[in-house]
Amino acid sequence: MEHLVSSNLAQAVFLAPAVAAVLAWLLGRVRRVFAECAGLLGAAAAFAVSLGMIPRVLHGQILTGWGRELRVDSLSAMMVLLISGVALPAAIFSIRYMRHRRLEDAQGRDVTDARLTVFYALFLLFLATMLWGCVTNNIIMLYVAVEATTIASGLLVAFYWDKRSLEAGYKYLMLLTVGITFALFACVLLYASGARYLHGVNAMLISELRGIAGVIPRSVAIFVITFFIVGFGTKAGIAPFHPWLPDAHAEAPSPVSALLSGVMIKMAAYALARTVTIFFPAYPPLTAFIVILGAFTMLLGGVMALAQDDLKRLLAYSSVSQMGYVIMGLGFGTYLGVYGGLFHLLTHAAAKALLFLCVGAVIYTTSARSMSELGGLGRRMPITAVCFFIGAFSLAGLPPFAGFMSKLTIFLAGADVGMWAAVAVGAFTSLLTLIVLFRAGQAVFWGSPRSQAAAAESVGEAPPSLWVAMVALAAVCVILGVYPGLAYPLLHRAALSLVGGLF
Amino acid sequence: MPYNVQLIETLSIIMVMTSVAAVEFRNLNRAAQAYRLQALLIAGLICAFAVGNPALYVWAVVAVITKAVLTPHFIFRYISKAQEDEVPAILGFGPSVVIASGLLFAFYKLTHTYVYLLAPTPEAALGVFRTNLAISLTVFVLGLYAILSRRDAIKTVIGLCLLENAVHLSLVSLAPSLRETALIGVATEVVVTVYLLLYVISGIREKFGTTDTFELANLHW
Repeated sequence: MEHLVSSNLAQAVFLAPAVAAVLAWLLGRVRRVFAECAGLLGAAAAFAVSLGMIPRVLHGQILTGWGRELRVDSLSAMMVLLISGVALPAAIFSIRYMRHRRLEDAQGRDVTDARLTVFYALFLLFLATMLWGCVTNNIIMLYVAVEATTIASGLLVAFYWDKRSLEAGYKYLMLLTVGITFALFACVLLYASGARYLHGVNAMLISELRGIAGVIPRSVAIFVITFFIVGFGTKAGIAPFHPWLPDAHAEAPSPVSALLSGVMIKMAAYALARTVTIFFPAYPPLTAFIVILGAFTMLLGGVMALAQDDLKRLLAYSSVSQMGYVIMGLGFGTYLGVYGGLFHLLTHAAAKALLFLCVGAVIYTTSARSMSELGGLGRRMPITAVCFFIGAFSLAGLPPFAGFMSKLTIFLAGADVGMWAAVAVGAFTSLLTLIVLFRAGQAVFWGSPRSQAAAAESVGEAPPSLWVAMVALAAVCVILGVYPGLAYPLLHRAALSLVGGLF
Repeated sequence: MPYNVQLIETLSIIMVMTSVAAVEFRNLNRAAQAYRLQALLIAGLICAFAVGNPALYVWAVVAVITKAVLTPHFIFRYISKAQEDEVPAILGFGPSVVIASGLLFAFYKLTHTYVYLLAPTPEAALGVFRTNLAISLTVFVLGLYAILSRRDAIKTVIGLCLLENAVHLSLVSLAPSLRETALIGVATEVVVTVYLLLYVISGIREKFGTTDTFELANLHW
């Protein structure tokens, strides 16, 4: 039931923020507030376009653009909604948050306005490249888009230009570029193999390559799969390719961390899903391997998170762990597994972005981000505290929050295929996550302040423009937990698009 | 077969030698010069293959612009006058050259023998294409070796450039029918990434006082 419809929405979704990025760059030099406006408008435009796609996609249409270069099916539409849906609160959050810290150049002069202009331009560019990656149907352009997200976010990671940020930025750019080069090999090998059977441009189209995945010589397929896992897996934070993640997500400004952890690694997981699942029918043992990888990742991330004092590093390792769930779900290879993996993609995006914004609010008011320095903030930052615990419980998989539903689905999928060991690892890691996050919440919001910074009189609730974003994301965590069926129509078709049936 | 096999093989050997030079030269300026030469040789190799596939001439031009003009220009700009020699790696010059050469020979032999495992099409496993694929993968490993074994951040960037050059060269064997726009996109991205890396490294030099990657140890666990 392939119903291809040519639409401008496919291009619009990433061109809008790209144009806004240019506007932010140009107009911001006049006045900083223009750059901030461009930032908000660009993010809002992307979100509006992605909302516009949903009804059409749910009616069975696949939106195409530029011939068949761009292709938006349910999975792409879901990803686009996720990305823009997190980017908008992050953009709203950054307006007030980013103004807070004075930025100086090498001579000590105040360059905050100029740097913030660059910030918003890069933010929008980052958003545009991620959106492009999710709507492209061209395997080589998929590589280009993923690499472009690294380029756009590299300077965002190093934004504060101090020792820690620079170190994080260098490692980020280096490790991700080397990793993605493996993915390039895989893309090219896949294209070249496809070119034998498909004519002309078709060989680059992912939708066409599905059909020939089983016919490619076995050894070549193994190389392709391995290089895709190394390449896109590095970007998604899969162990053992994750070392760049804690540094980058911790040192970036909080709204950027929310985007990196909440969205960018999801986009990499999407790329991995699109490219590796085409081999599932022909290579059944692949599923077991991916499940093991997922289990290893979730355990490693969970254990490392336990050892952290820095709140942002803790959340970053937790992201590694949760990506393990997604990979495990996808690895089960069944409809239920893929559904669970994609659902977890959604719930984790909301919860992790929420948590990073909450930590950002704490940093905004106290300038501290270590658990050993904080404490007793619950009384003075009630909204932040409630939002934090909602995010924490959702992440840990407690009802009635969204994370419970997505993890349950993954566990059921594992039980369905008889991989009880995987389910056990997942359950154990959930417990670990609960302990880690609960301890963090308790250390920050309960008890009494452990340092001057936390005890200061000036510490109060974050300003409304900060908590409005947090409350919006918290609402998503609650709503999806109470009404998981809301996501069903979209997720159902998205899962089918990966595991046979539809396309 | 219109290909000049001798020319291709000669160019390949010299190209590998310049790659080793780019990795091993302690003086960063000389290493960058060696890299520039390597880039030109790669463009030459692509031209040698273009005899059978005229579209590759565009690839060669792209290679010259991005790899032989822009990238070395950026590298030269970011080498500090005060620190022209790289921060010495753990391995001394002698042992390093031996290891690099050893890696080269071993890997070339390996890929040349087993190229059929990797080749997506039967054509890619034959004749000059086979040689090209083996050479590219060898230089790829050399670039990876540079990134892992060098202590100076700028040297690691040169290693990354070698790595990327190798991948792009392999495209001649793997995907000769690839559209020019795709190649331009891929090549341009590398230049931008290298520029960003060098820019961040200049920030590192400013804050840390050195480009020694061992100093980048503030973030652990």
